[in-house]
Amino acid sequence: MENNSTTHVYFDFSKLFTATKTFIDTHNQNHHQLTERLNANHRATAELITRLYAKQLNQAITLGEDITKDLPGFKTFNPSLASCKGCTVRTIINHKERLKAAGFIIKETHRGKSGIELWINPTIFKAKKSSTILNNIQSDIQIIKEVYDLKVKNLHPLVHEQQELKNNNSTVDKLVTEKEGVRLTAHKEIDNSVTGTSQEQHKNIRESRNSASKKQKKMATSTNAKEVDSAFLLQLVRDFWNYAKVLLYPNIKLSQPEETEILNCIWASVYRKFKITGSKKDWEGYQEILFKRIDMVSRWLDRNPNRWVPPPHLYFNPENKRNGFNKTYEWFLKQELLKKEIRNQILIQKTASEWKDHKKGIGKHKNKTRLQLFRIQQQRLSQYKDDRLLQLYEKSLHKVVNM
Amino acid sequence: MIHPNPDQALSKCIVYFTDGNSRTFYSFDQKHKKSKPNQALGIRRLEKMLLQHFKGTWETAIIYENVPNGKELAKFKGGIRVF
Repeated sequence: MENNSTTHVYFDFSKLFTATKTFIDTHNQNHHQLTERLNANHRATAELITRLYAKQLNQAITLGEDITKDLPGFKTFNPSLASCKGCTVRTIINHKERLKAAGFIIKETHRGKSGIELWINPTIFKAKKSSTILNNIQSDIQIIKEVYDLKVKNLHPLVHEQQELKNNNSTVDKLVTEKEGVRLTAHKEIDNSVTGTSQEQHKNIRESRNSASKKQKKMATSTNAKEVDSAFLLQLVRDFWNYAKVLLYPNIKLSQPEETEILNCIWASVYRKFKITGSKKDWEGYQEILFKRIDMVSRWLDRNPNRWVPPPHLYFNPENKRNGFNKTYEWFLKQELLKKEIRNQILIQKTASEWKDHKKGIGKHKNKTRLQLFRIQQQRLSQYKDDRLLQLYEKSLHKVVNM
Repeated sequence: MIHPNPDQALSKCIVYFTDGNSRTFYSFDQKHKKSKPNQALGIRRLEKMLLQHFKGTWETAIIYENVPNGKELAKFKGGIRVF
């Protein structure tokens, strides 16, 4: 679990893990009926919930939410928990029932489309503290003491305590390869072995269809990054097509279905279905480049009457790899680079002539020292913010000065 | 060979030939048997038929939506598309 800055409140998983373990152990000690006890599998679910909840809380803290007064609930979805754990949704529901009966989950709210919200026992999530080193050690000692005071391992087992004996993390005798065992793409976690929930691949191979965490992620990005509204983006497509139509296909006549098809093609090929997220400004910049590309093509067409572009439904087709519009991007880049190169050459030539004049004692800078001239030129060239230009300048300077 | 089905076609083309006859053609909107119908493809195919296959044999041709009271999608006169 990531450590935040020292002044911030944060939830450390190792402590929560210990607290969860202590809670379940105490519960199991007080209950001897099998239907009331929490077995290893329930434990795994509890740990999964704890881990994800802690992650959610830590994220909320880093985003600047104040959760010191009252903790928000754990917002999740049954199917996402199920796919995380590698079991069915029913199992998750059953486990939650058992955990509720045990008092681990104190409240559950169903929010329909936006999933469920769980409130975990505050005794587990009380481990909220400023993470100064001193405090940590003290609390560590306290927790260790608590654990040792219980003397769980020294007690003679009256009932077979499966969770103590069975090592969930072990892959021995399980015919599960390490790679298969670790799979938690739903919550973007690399290290999955913490909870000891070995994934049962044969039960649930695919990610659940309505993967909740994906939705959560989407919701998060949409609220955080202030996504550009789709009306604006679709207007970009229409503008682009109108511009291209005027310049490339001035005489074309299209019916409405044909136009729709072309717009769809442009949306898919030119704008890549707007999968790349960007601000309004980014898209406007991209639009400018697209217009330049269209201009470029139209100029190329004008230069020779034998030149042609394919009809729009083919020209903007995403499948067209041979003579589609997307190929003009390389062309555009090449042209831009060439333009820059020429500009650089002109600038360098100018500096070189200034040096020559300076040596002869004529020109604008005849009264300046060599250093002053160098500074003036350097300042002028650095305005372009081009490293390549400065390199070229250095080279030419060596030549000119050593001549 | 699969022929266009008048019941399923999305558009139809009525051609008025120079010899006084007229005939209705139905569009074939699929790339292959199970593909999603694409009306634009059907219209393009009808257009190709008019401008290449029946070139010079017709005076007026109109492409309609293949529904009752369907609106005109394209109109051709003397080998040139009017709209």
